[in-house]
Amino acid sequence: MVLDNKDTRNIWEKIGDFFSANSIWMKWYCTGCGAIEMPPTMTSRFDMERLGMGPMATPRQADVLLITGYLSTKTLRRVIYSYEQMNSPRYVVGFGSCTINGGIYYDSYATINQLDKYLPVDLYIAGCMPRPEAIMNGFNTLIEMIKKGEANGWRHYQENYDWYKKNQLESLGEVIIHDEFHE
Amino acid sequence: MGALNFLYAFLMLLLVFIFQTTLTGLNRKVTARLQKRYGARWYQQFLDIFKALRKDSTSHGWVFDFGVIMALGGIMATVTFIPVAGFRAFPGTDNVFVISYLLAVGMLGMAMSAAGSGNPWASIGVGRALTNMLAYDIPLMVVIFTMIFAFDSASVGQLAEMQQGMGILGWNFFRMPLGGIVAVIALLGMLGKKPFDSFIAPAEIASGPMVEYGGKHLGFMFILHEFMTFIEVSLIINLFFGGGATIWEYMLKYAILYTFTNIISGVMPRFKIDQAVKYFYRVPLAMAIIQGLVVIFTGLGVTIWF
Amino acid sequence: MNLNLVIIVSVAFAIAAYLVSKVNDKAGAFMTVAGSMFALVTVFLLRNSIGSEISFLYFNFNLTVTGWYFSLVMLTAYSMTAFFNPFWMKKLIYPAGYNFLYLLSMAGTLGVFFAKDFITLFVFWETVVWSSAFIIQMGKSRQAAYVYYVISAIGSMATLFAIMFAYGTTGTFVINEAFKGLAGYPGRAIVIFITFIAAGMAKIGIFPFHVWLPSAHGSAPHTFSPVLSGGLVKMGAFVALLSVTAFPAYEIFKDMASFRGIPLPIYFMMALGAISIVAGTLMAIKQEDAKKLLAYSSVANGGYILIGLLMLDQVGFAGGMMHIVNHAVASAAAFLSIAAVAYRTGTTKMSEMGGMIHRMPVTYLVYLIAIISMAGIPPMGGFVSKWLIFQGLADKGLIFLATTAFFGSIGSFLYVFRPLSAVFLGQTFTRDLEKKEVGFFMMFPMLILTLLSLLTGVFPNIFLRVVVEIQSAFGMLPVTLAENTIVTSNGFLDAFRVFIVFGFGFAIAFVLFVIRRKSRKVELMDTFTSAEFIHTRELLHYSHSFYAPFERLYEKAPDTMKLYHKAAVKINELGNMAESAFFGIRPARTVLLVMGMVLIVIIAGGVL
Repeated sequence: MVLDNKDTRNIWEKIGDFFSANSIWMKWYCTGCGAIEMPPTMTSRFDMERLGMGPMATPRQADVLLITGYLSTKTLRRVIYSYEQMNSPRYVVGFGSCTINGGIYYDSYATINQLDKYLPVDLYIAGCMPRPEAIMNGFNTLIEMIKKGEANGWRHYQENYDWYKKNQLESLGEVIIHDEFHE
Repeated sequence: MGALNFLYAFLMLLLVFIFQTTLTGLNRKVTARLQKRYGARWYQQFLDIFKALRKDSTSHGWVFDFGVIMALGGIMATVTFIPVAGFRAFPGTDNVFVISYLLAVGMLGMAMSAAGSGNPWASIGVGRALTNMLAYDIPLMVVIFTMIFAFDSASVGQLAEMQQGMGILGWNFFRMPLGGIVAVIALLGMLGKKPFDSFIAPAEIASGPMVEYGGKHLGFMFILHEFMTFIEVSLIINLFFGGGATIWEYMLKYAILYTFTNIISGVMPRFKIDQAVKYFYRVPLAMAIIQGLVVIFTGLGVTIWF
Repeated sequence: MNLNLVIIVSVAFAIAAYLVSKVNDKAGAFMTVAGSMFALVTVFLLRNSIGSEISFLYFNFNLTVTGWYFSLVMLTAYSMTAFFNPFWMKKLIYPAGYNFLYLLSMAGTLGVFFAKDFITLFVFWETVVWSSAFIIQMGKSRQAAYVYYVISAIGSMATLFAIMFAYGTTGTFVINEAFKGLAGYPGRAIVIFITFIAAGMAKIGIFPFHVWLPSAHGSAPHTFSPVLSGGLVKMGAFVALLSVTAFPAYEIFKDMASFRGIPLPIYFMMALGAISIVAGTLMAIKQEDAKKLLAYSSVANGGYILIGLLMLDQVGFAGGMMHIVNHAVASAAAFLSIAAVAYRTGTTKMSEMGGMIHRMPVTYLVYLIAIISMAGIPPMGGFVSKWLIFQGLADKGLIFLATTAFFGSIGSFLYVFRPLSAVFLGQTFTRDLEKKEVGFFMMFPMLILTLLSLLTGVFPNIFLRVVVEIQSAFGMLPVTLAENTIVTSNGFLDAFRVFIVFGFGFAIAFVLFVIRRKSRKVELMDTFTSAEFIHTRELLHYSHSFYAPFERLYEKAPDTMKLYHKAAVKINELGNMAESAFFGIRPARTVLLVMGMVLIVIIAGGVL
């Protein structure tokens, strides 16, 4: 992703970004071991609500999608579906090395290695898995990025939709629906 | 009913929004302290609402939008009917039945919009919310009925004024203690506080009626929730705690009662919806009817009896 | 035009409709529209000749303002529903008979409302019962017509008994005189009061007579259910009204034991009304068929009307009278909108439909306004009448009746929301995706009824002024009306102001909504499903057993219809026993036994 250093936002967008930065609602996707790091981050020890962050029930309500660990190709489909249900501006945060390069199962047939080929990731939090301290640090960075107008992944996704779509299709292949509801 | 009334009403809406949203923010801090957390900033609720209004939104057809507008419109109209410390934006409209049924317009609008989203969880949530309403409203209405019988007035403002000037024991909460307790329990149900919050259970039914809202729709729902809280707490303050002689007294009482419900909510588990109905029909309804019979047949509580 | 001419012309229309239908059934159905519209207009014009009396053949009529009020309600239901008739001709077995009976029953109701003496009342009453019974059996089941006829017969026989007993006591058939004459006989008066009001209660569908409503409303032709619920049920309210006013019930029973100023016989009837409210509400909540649900809601609303009328005071009575109009209009509109949906989808089962709002938006709005009125939410009419009834109850301190009234009122939010959510909202079923809105001819009556609902809610005083006249005619203290305001001892209601303020709130919300960026329109199936892919619309629609947790609380409650069936079986067994005793192997023995017992009784009676 090319980070644009020139700030082209008008005053309303700046105010909007201020609100967005200070009130981040999360929808997290418990795809891997990272989900277990979220409860301590939310509860009294680290208390994420100080930053104005909190969990939300559905992607429609949420601002940030957390991919907390390994993403198998089977789940990728659901993650993309959820991401497309979210309202802009929306952000994606990848947890742990597995979303960056595939981690220790990089050569598995069932997992994807690079999350940002499929979704525009605004921020990675490194670690295997990242401790709550790292997560809090990461969220602080995200807040700063939104304030400065640098978290533009959702715009990037809109502009390069064809490229993302191509990658998604390559990974998922064509699916003929055949489940318990369809013959 | 001139233009000035509408101006007052508009200003009232604005002030109520600021007051209640601030109070909600402070109460988030209170809840956090109960859980040994530091908690959100006091103005966090404003940030949340404006952020939601700022975002893009998705719509599931015209009834999804229309329901939201109808809900907020009905609730805002109801707010302007609430007498606050002797002030009425529209004099003569503070009949308790008008207030409690006009509130239902807003709820119907919300239910309509939620069900119009086509999400089954929203319908389940609405079904639970309506059942919850059937549970808490009957005991409360019986107590209010008793009060109308006792004081020959159905005007919320008049009922509040009748309790003033006699010290703390003049409050209906102390004149009709059983009824007062019922009203506070019903307030927990009205506000959707624990243990009566199963209709917005986030993990079970994905926040129920709110499931499909995002962006400005969600922002509207948050604003609506603030207004609705104001109406419900104000009703109880006016009817049972003597309203307020001055606006400051009113706000103080209001803040204390609202914080109290939050503290209760902070330490409670959650009832299943049928358990809530059973509970309301066993304990508070019996208390309300006993209170009603006492007032109607003995007159105790109409005058101060301490 | 005179009243007798209106009735004659209506009957003539009925016969003409029959003959025309034999040639062309659609043309005959249009005759029902013409006939009922004619009756509506001419009866409306009778306003000026109120107070006159007319005799015609054996019948004596008295043009009272009460009769005028009731017949306008009735004719509104008849004439508006008639617009649906032409579209249902193909679905009926006997279209000619239907059109004939439709207008005949309408003419009959006019006779009931303006009757001066009992004979007129009874003859026209029976005309209505018989003709409507034959229409009901053209619907889904004959069983429904039996139930309807049996319950009506119980009511009719009770009335006949009351009429004869009153005649025997006072020697006159003229309603007012006969009832006034009973004042000297409180013992007989109580029997006559209860038997006479029984007919009315059977017709309104008060517990324990309520069983006919769901079966008859539920299975009558879709075009007749609105008339049944909006109109014919109100005939019962009329008889109940006669029993407390013409029969000066409060004066006759004034020496009896009373509860908060209400004599016990009347309080007992009100308690039955309260039971109907609770039973109707609970049953309506668990129905799966939209028409049955609305039928049970009619039971509950009948309870309100009965309680209001029997209070016979300044406020509650006005509420009861007002509720007659409101419920008639709202219920007819709700039934018509369900009929419109059934016209397109062919079903009234709620679990077989969904998302019709996207296909039939106008029908949806009609249903929405109707249920807002039915649930008693401002700014529609139902709120005003329920408000008056609540005020009346609070005045008198009738706490138990009030508890049930509140239960019915909040409970109605639950059941009226069911069809809204299951039929109109939610996912549109695949087979309904191509359905269209009904045509203008069917939309027209629905829109008129919707406007009437709004009118009763925003300017209730137009209707209450007539109620004031009725109250004055009965010598009651009428409800106090100011320009736009209804004044009671507990406070006042300015419905117009409430409406304006609601509009103000709505306008602010609308402006706030519009100034924000336009939302992205998404498909109805694109909803949050925990990211699961669901492709079947029907599976994503929640409509079956909507209030399951609440229904579970009273699933073991006894079903009145089953109790009746059990009683019928027992009576049958008793008959079989008697039969086998007398016509069995040794009948002589039984006869001897009975004779012996009779002898013993006679001797014992002589000794004592």
